[in-house]
Amino acid sequence: MTIQPRLTQLFRFVRCSYADGVAELAYAFDDGEELVERIRFPHAPAVPATHAAAFEAALKLLHLIAGVSYYKAGVPPKIEVASGPLDDATAELLDQLYLHGLAEFAYRNGLDLRGRIAFPRGGVAPTVGALNLPQRTLVPIGGGKDSLVAVEAIKSIGGEATAVWVGNSALIAACAERTGLPTLNIQRELAPGLFELNRLGAWNGHIPVTAVNSAILAVAAIVYGYDSIAFANERSASAATLEYEGQQVNHQWSKGYAFEQLLGNWLHTHVASDLDYCSLLRPYSELAITRAFAKLTPYFDAFSSCNRNFKLLGPKPADRWCGQCPKCHFVFLALAPFLPKPRLLSIFGRNLLDDENQAAGFDALLEYQDHKPFECVGEGAEARAAMFALSQRPEWQEDALIERFRSEILPRLDPSQLALEPWLKPSGEHRVPARLQAALAAIG
Amino acid sequence: MNPQSPASLTVDAPWIVMKFGGTSVATLPRWQNIRELVDSRRTEGARVLVVVSALTGITDALKQLCAQGDKGKRNEAAKAIAQRHYELLDHMQLAMPDTLGTRLDELAKLADDGPAALGELAWQAQVQAHGELMSSALGAAFLSHSGLPTQWLDARDCLAAIALPNQNERTRLLSSMVDSRPDPVLAARLATLGEVFITQGFIARESQGRTVLLGRGGSDTSASYFGALLKAQRVEIWTDVAGMFTANPRQVPGARLLQRLDYEEAQEIASTGAKVLHPRCLSPLRESRVPLLIKDTNRPELDGTVIGPEVRAHAPSVKAISARKGITLVSMESVGMWQQVGFLADVFTHFKQHGLSVDLIGSAETNVTVSLDPTENLLDSDAIAALASDLAKVCRVKVIAPCAAITLVGRGMRSLLHTLSGVLAEFGQLRVHMISQSSNNLNLTFVVDEEVVDTLLPHLHDLLIGAGALRTDDSELFGPSWQALYGSGEVPGVATAWWRGSQRTRLLELAAEATPRYVYHLPTVRQQARELNTLGAVDRLHYAVKANTHPAILHALVAEGFAFECVSPGELKAISAIVPEATPLLFTPNFASREDYVFALGTRATVTLDALYPIEHWGEFFRGREIVLRVDLGRGLGHHEKVRTGGSGSKFGLPLDQLANFLQLAEAHGVTVRGLHAHLGSGVLDAGHWGEVYVQLASLAERIGSVTFLNIGGGLGVPSHPGEARLDIAELDRVLREVKAAYPQYQLWMEPGRYLVADAGVLLARATQQKGKGAFRYLGIDTGMNSLIRPALYDAWHEIVNLSRLDEPATALYQVVGPICESGDVLGTDRRLPEAQEGDVMLIAQAGAYGKVMSSHYNLRDEAEEIIIE
Repeated sequence: MTIQPRLTQLFRFVRCSYADGVAELAYAFDDGEELVERIRFPHAPAVPATHAAAFEAALKLLHLIAGVSYYKAGVPPKIEVASGPLDDATAELLDQLYLHGLAEFAYRNGLDLRGRIAFPRGGVAPTVGALNLPQRTLVPIGGGKDSLVAVEAIKSIGGEATAVWVGNSALIAACAERTGLPTLNIQRELAPGLFELNRLGAWNGHIPVTAVNSAILAVAAIVYGYDSIAFANERSASAATLEYEGQQVNHQWSKGYAFEQLLGNWLHTHVASDLDYCSLLRPYSELAITRAFAKLTPYFDAFSSCNRNFKLLGPKPADRWCGQCPKCHFVFLALAPFLPKPRLLSIFGRNLLDDENQAAGFDALLEYQDHKPFECVGEGAEARAAMFALSQRPEWQEDALIERFRSEILPRLDPSQLALEPWLKPSGEHRVPARLQAALAAIG
Repeated sequence: MNPQSPASLTVDAPWIVMKFGGTSVATLPRWQNIRELVDSRRTEGARVLVVVSALTGITDALKQLCAQGDKGKRNEAAKAIAQRHYELLDHMQLAMPDTLGTRLDELAKLADDGPAALGELAWQAQVQAHGELMSSALGAAFLSHSGLPTQWLDARDCLAAIALPNQNERTRLLSSMVDSRPDPVLAARLATLGEVFITQGFIARESQGRTVLLGRGGSDTSASYFGALLKAQRVEIWTDVAGMFTANPRQVPGARLLQRLDYEEAQEIASTGAKVLHPRCLSPLRESRVPLLIKDTNRPELDGTVIGPEVRAHAPSVKAISARKGITLVSMESVGMWQQVGFLADVFTHFKQHGLSVDLIGSAETNVTVSLDPTENLLDSDAIAALASDLAKVCRVKVIAPCAAITLVGRGMRSLLHTLSGVLAEFGQLRVHMISQSSNNLNLTFVVDEEVVDTLLPHLHDLLIGAGALRTDDSELFGPSWQALYGSGEVPGVATAWWRGSQRTRLLELAAEATPRYVYHLPTVRQQARELNTLGAVDRLHYAVKANTHPAILHALVAEGFAFECVSPGELKAISAIVPEATPLLFTPNFASREDYVFALGTRATVTLDALYPIEHWGEFFRGREIVLRVDLGRGLGHHEKVRTGGSGSKFGLPLDQLANFLQLAEAHGVTVRGLHAHLGSGVLDAGHWGEVYVQLASLAERIGSVTFLNIGGGLGVPSHPGEARLDIAELDRVLREVKAAYPQYQLWMEPGRYLVADAGVLLARATQQKGKGAFRYLGIDTGMNSLIRPALYDAWHEIVNLSRLDEPATALYQVVGPICESGDVLGTDRRLPEAQEGDVMLIAQAGAYGKVMSSHYNLRDEAEEIIIE
């Protein structure tokens, strides 16, 4: 009988295994066929016996976290883990991740996941010590500005690092190469059965992909030997994009500080006390990061933060920037105060702020007449500060949307809340390990 | 090698300067090539001066050496550079010549000493000069060794840098200028020294005896200086491409080789985009009127580009189209300020202060807009912000970027404006920020948004050819396309016209019997019909009979399965008499009278209405009938205003805002709208347009339940100019299939006319006489607008050939005219043809459509007969 994904009752974590650099993660709904995801770690060395327990723990967490892609297809009421109940900390991490990481998915599909997600509890937590992992850092590269700022910050203190990314992207590969760091490209193959479920009417939507990638890198850190994983998630990633029936919905929850703390602490207590998981950009606003990026000229013709053109790559700006999506709007606006105007326009190949058709998109960033878009973009107040800064500059003042901002939006704003400078000051909130803290100075 | 010893040259033998760039001097085979080329020039009876660049990559390596603070690393760099020369020497199987050895020692010493003694800039110049000093020493050794005695000449002994008032130490040493007045003393002195010389590009000497560099494009400039000093017969620039092209081949693969340019045109093209020649190198030659020839080292058989003094004996034409990207505009708006004395001076002072150099300027009473090129200063400093702050104190400033300047270059640009209407219409659909036209009348520049340029440029190139503004039919000026010369074999095979090949003799015989005559070639009609029958998505093709109603053509198309489209009772009668009873007919009139409709409704034809009036006032005639409704989708297309049939300016079709009213009236009179029809215009060459019409009709049809078929009209373009791209039928098929897949419920109809018959027909006439008038030469033929009115009516371009002298060189430039007493009786302007004689048979091509059917008895001239070739 064909499965009807939305009517399933049980989601099962069937098994996970690892051999020759390939992790196999198996899931199933009810009594349905196994859905097997494969993750390939290239040129993976054998895991030494001393690291076996740590490896097993990391692999198990990866199994549990990567399951979110499959769980969401049916969102059944019950979750079962074949290897037995989880210890409380692990169950808590997963309950939180599935609830908050799928909040946007739930909102878009009109679902309420509260009270529905409960990982089995009652297992015993392990005790782990230090593994004396080599002092080097995995830096995930995304093709956008943030990870490049993180890379350059680590390079500036002479830190040893590897640029790592999951999946195929010519854009990311080009950016990674441009960093001059050694590179590591891990492949993730979703279970083919997932596409079949989609065809049969599975629920679909946003999943907390940063959490999945984080779990993959935790495994990689043990396999290859790294003492730290340094993401480039900024301060505003912690802010909710909207509130829906009393629940905070954050498009980028797994890039937020709450998840960083949960996972960081979990790795210390379940994998190795000397494996650090942090975001190097956590103290900074988007504007502080774009200011740092504005100094990294060599990346200007290689990077892109645009999600729509993400798989494209080419020498022309239009190949890398669609110019229509919230990411394009935000990065354009946030870089503008820190770059000479002609240079900025040469990066994008057009002037988005002199195009009346883009008014609605920028309104959304400013949280004017609209809520914040579901994309990884900065806070509305940041966008307003950037827009205000431009509105005071003669070389920008006459552009259509700046002109519109000055005449229509600015009079309704509180002038005391528009300064750019406060956004450029770092906050103290971060989990950057002592070894890497000097790199923060390079960002500003 | 076969050393020959031609007679020694006299002292006043002419000079030829040949310049070879870095890649041309980097390998042994390339040097063997140089040797042959130099030898051939010497054999022509000329003294040859070879000017060479440094081996490819060496100038960069020397610059890096200069930037190196560490002595050890400088020494290493010098060794690596020396190694490159050792290797080439080794390939040449030559011993180290003293001249080269000395240079290598010098370079090693310069690297070791560093800049301290000479001063930074002078040292840099001295170091970088070694690239050319070494390559020329190596070349002298090779050429002499291979049997061509060659004198090594130190360019610095010949080229004297001049001091200019606006120079600083950097430009004086690294970007110098040279006095290039002819120097007969130097020429005479060299003539006593030998016959073949080799010297360095890029370097000269200033008054204090220091070595200086000539800056970017320096080697080409050196060749020009030498050409001017020696008053050479010509300067040849040997490079990796055959010359200048009508556009950048990377953007426009169909760009044509420019075979002749004058200095000013070439300079303009070089300045606005072409990379093959540095614009600096033309001015020394212009003053001394020495021609410059650009040649492809790998393909010496290609003609290349000759640049020389202006020549009048050719058609005014756009020569090239170029685009420069990364332009920033500064628009300054102020009321009443411009008239104040000194205001503009103050404004421009700010540009100077911030180190920004202005290129184009456009002004109005209240606005001045200037363009800035993408310099480092503009992109990476706060210059533009600072400038805007200063300017904002006196006017409203707007910084517009990124823009691109699209420049059309050609002598006498203003006299070409009337041909550009189609091209200008294209710009009408874009944001044009600025238009600039200089008083030297060489260019016309449009500044538009940068993002549109990549797709716009090839399109404009096609439009310029189609509009007859870029006269690619003039074989004196325009050579083969880049694609044909260097492309990867994807050149669409241009079939030889039927009248040029097998049927030429037959046509000459027919013309000998009588002229004027129309001749129709039925195999061509069939071939076109079969091509259209490959359009799988089209359910029914109608031949629009108004293009040509000759019975033999109608029979041929019946045999190919075509239906027929008529626009008048006369056509309906004529066609009904010829085609079989079962052949579908379509009646698509415009402003037809009540009687016309009554007649048509009495035939088997499907009737099309294209206005409210007939259904409103004569609705009862149509009761119970199924009709087609022709709508106006609100825009028109085509090669000429008079062939556009969409848009409010056109009399065709029901405007969409009257559609609801029409449907109501149809309902009231029991009339069923079975089909929807739209037709945008004629001569459309872009397959995408039919897709758009198709989609728009389909989405309209979805609102009208009764519609079962869509008639997307005709207008399939037939290119007339040489090199113009043909309509891509495979692409049209793909586009139509795509729409059909989305709207499978509707049958698809088309009604091509000209596409089927244009190429099949020619008009034969005979030359009657010639007349000279000022610079113009008129060639009279024995028929004109009475037989073929399209050139007069639509500015249509028809190829004209002298069929009696098809193989003779086209050296004359004619205005081909008929005998009708009308100024407009011109069949072709500025046509490059062989010298004609009275009685020569002239053929006017593409006359199969709208030729005979539009002809008249005007002036009571006899009509042309029609002859069929089966």
